[in-house]
Amino acid sequence: MSKKVIPWLDNLLQEIEGVEIRRKDSRRVRIDIAPDSLPTLLELLRGRAGYVHLSAITCVDWIDDGQFELVYQLWSYESQSLVSAHIRIAREPGVYVSVFDLYQPAAFFERDIHEMFGVYFEGSPDMSKFILTEWNGPPPMRKEFDAEAWVNETFEWKDYQPDWLKEITEQGGGIVKTPEEARQKKP
Amino acid sequence: MRPENYQAKSHPPSNEYELNFGPNHPGIEGNYALKVKLHGDVVVAARADGGYLHRGFEKLMEGRLWIQNIALVPRICVPDPVPMEVCYSMAVEALTDMEVPERAQWLRVLQLELSRIAAHLFTFGGHAATTGMYTTMYWGVADRDQILDLFEEWTGGRVYHIYNIPGGVRRDMPTGFLDRVSRTMDYIESRLPDYDNLFFTNQVFVDRARDTGPMNQQQALEWGVTGPNLRATGLAFDVRRDDPYLVYDQIDFDIPTESPGDAWARTLVRRQELKQSIHIVRQVVEKLPSINGPVRTQIPNPLAWNVPAGETYTRVESSKGELGYYVVSDGGDKPHRVHVRGPSSMHAVQVLEQLSVGARLEDVAQIMFSLDACPPEVDR
Repeated sequence: MSKKVIPWLDNLLQEIEGVEIRRKDSRRVRIDIAPDSLPTLLELLRGRAGYVHLSAITCVDWIDDGQFELVYQLWSYESQSLVSAHIRIAREPGVYVSVFDLYQPAAFFERDIHEMFGVYFEGSPDMSKFILTEWNGPPPMRKEFDAEAWVNETFEWKDYQPDWLKEITEQGGGIVKTPEEARQKKP
Repeated sequence: MRPENYQAKSHPPSNEYELNFGPNHPGIEGNYALKVKLHGDVVVAARADGGYLHRGFEKLMEGRLWIQNIALVPRICVPDPVPMEVCYSMAVEALTDMEVPERAQWLRVLQLELSRIAAHLFTFGGHAATTGMYTTMYWGVADRDQILDLFEEWTGGRVYHIYNIPGGVRRDMPTGFLDRVSRTMDYIESRLPDYDNLFFTNQVFVDRARDTGPMNQQQALEWGVTGPNLRATGLAFDVRRDDPYLVYDQIDFDIPTESPGDAWARTLVRRQELKQSIHIVRQVVEKLPSINGPVRTQIPNPLAWNVPAGETYTRVESSKGELGYYVVSDGGDKPHRVHVRGPSSMHAVQVLEQLSVGARLEDVAQIMFSLDACPPEVDR
C-alpha cells in the first residue's frame, strides 16, 4: 500500500522560490508555483523523485483574472502518489515553454491546448492542428467563445417543411414549437 | 523572393508513396485516419489524423448542469462507457465531499467489471478480424451481447446506461438479477477454452502477432502508455490496485503481465484480465446480498445545485488504461472546466505513429487493434 509520501519534498523545494505545497490526502499533493520555476520543479520531480508519468496537462481559462491556469498531473510509480503542479500565465499573449524534453506525452496535450485555447508552447515538436483541421475561427474552448452565438451568426435558420410533415400538420400534428419559440427564454 | 529564402521543392523518392489509411477503412478502429508513407509495403512514416468524431464534449459540459452531464459523458467512449460515468461522478463527489453508500460502491464495481469484459470481447473480435479470422469477431460480439442484455435489464440502456450519478447509482437491481449475472459469467468462462482454441493459440494469430509492434518497458514509460499495453511490457501497474477507488482495496484480484510488449503480449494480457474480471464479478455477486442500505445519498435539488468551488483529478482504470477527469468548479450550477484524459490519447496518437514505422502495411491495422485505440476518447 501507500508508502510514506514526500519526506524529500520539503528539502527539495527549498531551492525554488514561490512554491506553495498543499497535501490533499496521502496520495495527492498540490503545488502552486511561479511559471518560471515550473521546468525546474518538473526536472526535480522526474529526476530525483521518480515522477516519471505525466498523466495530463489541463488548461483552465480564468477570463475574469485575465489568466490561463496550466495544471500538470504527475504520477510516481514508486511512491504511488500524484502531484499536481499549477501555474498561472497571462491570457495575452498566452505563451509558455514546452516540457516535451522532460515528458514526451506533453506533445499531445500541448498540441491540444494550442488548438483549443490558443496557448503557444515554445519548443513543442508539433503545434499543427489535429482535431479542428478545417476550423478557422477563434480557439473554441476559450470562455469568450459562445458556440450558440457563432452558429446564429454563421448559419441561417431554415424552415423545415417536407411533404410528409405537411400532411401531419394538416391533420393537427407536427412541430408544435418552432426553433425561434424554443430559443426564447421563459419570462 | 530573396535567393537565401529559396528552397527547391522536395519530392519524395519515386519508390515511396503515401496512403490514406482511414477514416473509412475496415482496418481502422472507429472514424480515425492514419496517413502512412510506404516504401514497397513497409511503413517509413505515419501520422495520425483525428477529429472525425469530435463533438466538443468539454465545451458542451461547461454549458450544462452538473446532473445533465451524466447523460453526456458515456458517449465519450462507446465500447466502454461505464468508467466515464463513474469517473465523472467521483469527481463531483470529491468536490462536494459526498459519501457514497457502500452498496452503491459495490454496484459500481459490478458495472465497471461487466463493462470491461464486454469491451475486451469486442477488442478480441476486432484484433482477430485484422488477422483474417472473422469467426472470433462474430463470437465476441455475440457473447458481448449477453452482457448488454444484463445491462438492459438492469439500467434500461444497452450501451449507454446513465446509471451512475453523483452520490451513488440511480436504482437497485431487479429481483433475481445476481443469479442471471452468475449464469452469464459461467457461460462466458465456459467459452474461454473455445476462444483459446479458435484464436489465442491459433498458429496464424501467434505468427502474425509475435514481434508485431514491439514496445519495451522503457519506451512505454517514456510515451506515457498505461493499461494493458503497459502491463504487456512487464510493469504491473493498475489504478485499481495502486491508487484504489471505490471498494477495490477489499477485492482480491491479480494483475496479469507479459514481458515481450508486442501485439501478441498485449492481447494475451487482455485475455487474462477477462478471467480476473469474471473473478471480481463473482466476488461482488457473493458480497452484495450481505450489504443492505441505500444506493445513493440525498443530493440537493439537481436543477439548482451549486457545487462548491474547487478542483479535483479523479482516475479510474478503464479497459484501455488510465482514465482521468480534471474537473473545476467556480461555485456555480455548471462546471467551469472538465478535461477528459482518455487513455487512448497516448497510444492512439504518438505511440501508434511510432510503432507503425517499420511495420508492414498489413500489420498496421493489427497494431492499432492490439493497442485497443478508442478514437472518440482522443477527439472528445
